[in-house]
Amino acid sequence: MTDVTLSRPAPKVQSNARHRRALRFDQIGRHLLLTIVCLLVLVPIIYLLLASFKSVQDFFDRPYGLPSQWAWQNYVRAWNEANVAVTLTNSIIVTSAAVVLSTFLAAFASYGLSQRDKRLTAALYVLFASGMLIPVQMTVLPLFILLRQLGLSGTLFSLIFPYSALGLPLAILILVPFFATLPSDLAAAARIDGANEWQVFWRVMLPLVRPALASVVILNGVWMWNEFFIPLIIAIKPSTQTLPVGIMSFVGVYSTEWGLVFASVVVSALPVVVAYVLLTRQFVAGISAGAIKG
Amino acid sequence: MIGLSLITMKTRHYTHLWFVLPALLVYGLFVLYPTLSAFWLSFYDWNGFGNQMKFVGTKNFQEALTSSIVYRAAWHNLIFFIALFIFQNTVGLFLATQLDARPRLVEVYRAILFLPVIISLVAVGFIWSLMLSPNIGFLNPLLRAWGLGALARPWLSDTTWALPTVITVQAWQSLGWSIVIYLAGLQNIPQELREAAIIDGATNWQRFRNVTFPLLAPAFTSLTVLTFIQIFRTFDVVYVLAGPIGSPAGATDVLGTLIYRTAFGVTTMTTSSSRFSYAIAISVVLFVVLGLVSTLLLTQLRRREVQS
Repeated sequence: MTDVTLSRPAPKVQSNARHRRALRFDQIGRHLLLTIVCLLVLVPIIYLLLASFKSVQDFFDRPYGLPSQWAWQNYVRAWNEANVAVTLTNSIIVTSAAVVLSTFLAAFASYGLSQRDKRLTAALYVLFASGMLIPVQMTVLPLFILLRQLGLSGTLFSLIFPYSALGLPLAILILVPFFATLPSDLAAAARIDGANEWQVFWRVMLPLVRPALASVVILNGVWMWNEFFIPLIIAIKPSTQTLPVGIMSFVGVYSTEWGLVFASVVVSALPVVVAYVLLTRQFVAGISAGAIKG
Repeated sequence: MIGLSLITMKTRHYTHLWFVLPALLVYGLFVLYPTLSAFWLSFYDWNGFGNQMKFVGTKNFQEALTSSIVYRAAWHNLIFFIALFIFQNTVGLFLATQLDARPRLVEVYRAILFLPVIISLVAVGFIWSLMLSPNIGFLNPLLRAWGLGALARPWLSDTTWALPTVITVQAWQSLGWSIVIYLAGLQNIPQELREAAIIDGATNWQRFRNVTFPLLAPAFTSLTVLTFIQIFRTFDVVYVLAGPIGSPAGATDVLGTLIYRTAFGVTTMTTSSSRFSYAIAISVVLFVVLGLVSTLLLTQLRRREVQS
């Protein structure tokens, strides 16, 4: 996302006082509107935070107030009883392993596919890109059977490999155009200096696509962390469940323990939200890059 | 096949394929192979488990294309898409133009508006199922406290209101996404063009209608196609808010939940009620329609971009 300079030349029509007053009213109205919309976005999130500290009684007594007592034990109990200790660890392992694997595979492939004059690149690019359209409901059971045949079911690899593979289409859609804009003279110069193909890629080209790699990591990281449907079917053992599925299966058993459910939901959202607060710009740019390039 | 030819012809023309090979193997094994076996399975009668498989030709497809439940689910997807399309191109686009005017705190506004996009639909579903719960929720008690108790209703269990409520939750979650995509598009518009329009005496609306909006065509194309694909594959938000049967009485049933329920039964993995290959056939139809419509949308909308 490019930043436009803040000091745009003011159009001349605004010079007289009446216009200036109209303009100020405009600005106040704009801030008012944006504040209201931001509140509409924030209220449910704040409500979630408060709910995670409420006792069951508070849900009935103080539906939209603060908790009467801050029930930190919701988190302690979520950690132990709602299996969050296991599912959080699984989510962290699966997401980081799949993000790393997917990003590297996509970077290699995109470098190869960006050489448009070479054989098969156009066809392979379309093959990868068409993965965006495949409804996961269609492939998940054949996938389940495949994972069992490979002896991977019941392990975290049964999520890591499918996530990595499903992360490739979008990653390649983002990375190939980025590689294609790099001047081919760079690679040629490195080859003359005696670099082999691998060194050209690893030392020269890959460092230059770092911003696009950041987009890929964020985009794939967020969906893998949040993915629900695939682990719902594939991770049938509680020991391999990730957070979203863990919460859902907990709800099935303790349907009235709202405080625990919402403590788990907060734990599941927290890592992404913290990363987002620290790296807002990269997140916004990364996720919209996926849309604009696609 | 590719690997063999690589070994025999050690020319530079093929070295680039070595880089593609690892990704192609992983993609082929975990995406392409399950996709192809899904196509193959859709011509059989199979419950997903055991060895009883019978070739039935196109019977599953005939049933899928004549089933009123499939059409009802697809209709809900369509309403879902149209509602979100309108929402994104009115509210989303308008808010993007407001942020494009670069008010103070623009970064803060943008950061807040984008926040729900990164939160999982499962978490969003839980937040709203509590907010909208008839007894312990947030919205109904608030309406009653404000003396608007007449407006309070069991949002998610009323057949008229359930689908609009689910759509509203999805709209809440994805608002920031449309804003950010349109904002990026707006910021790519050369400032000179807008100034030229101001000097020519164009009103705000004329400027938007004749200068800004046509130049937003690429953002419009991406957003429309991606929303279309996303909504026709939607599952999480409906599953969490309305369960696998799209309650109440199928009022919120979409293709995602229908396929899930048909393949795996209402409670997960009960072989008795699962008709796996029929579910696969529905998803194959969905895949083909998605592919055709997305391609059509892309080519038509891209043509519009070129003309403007």
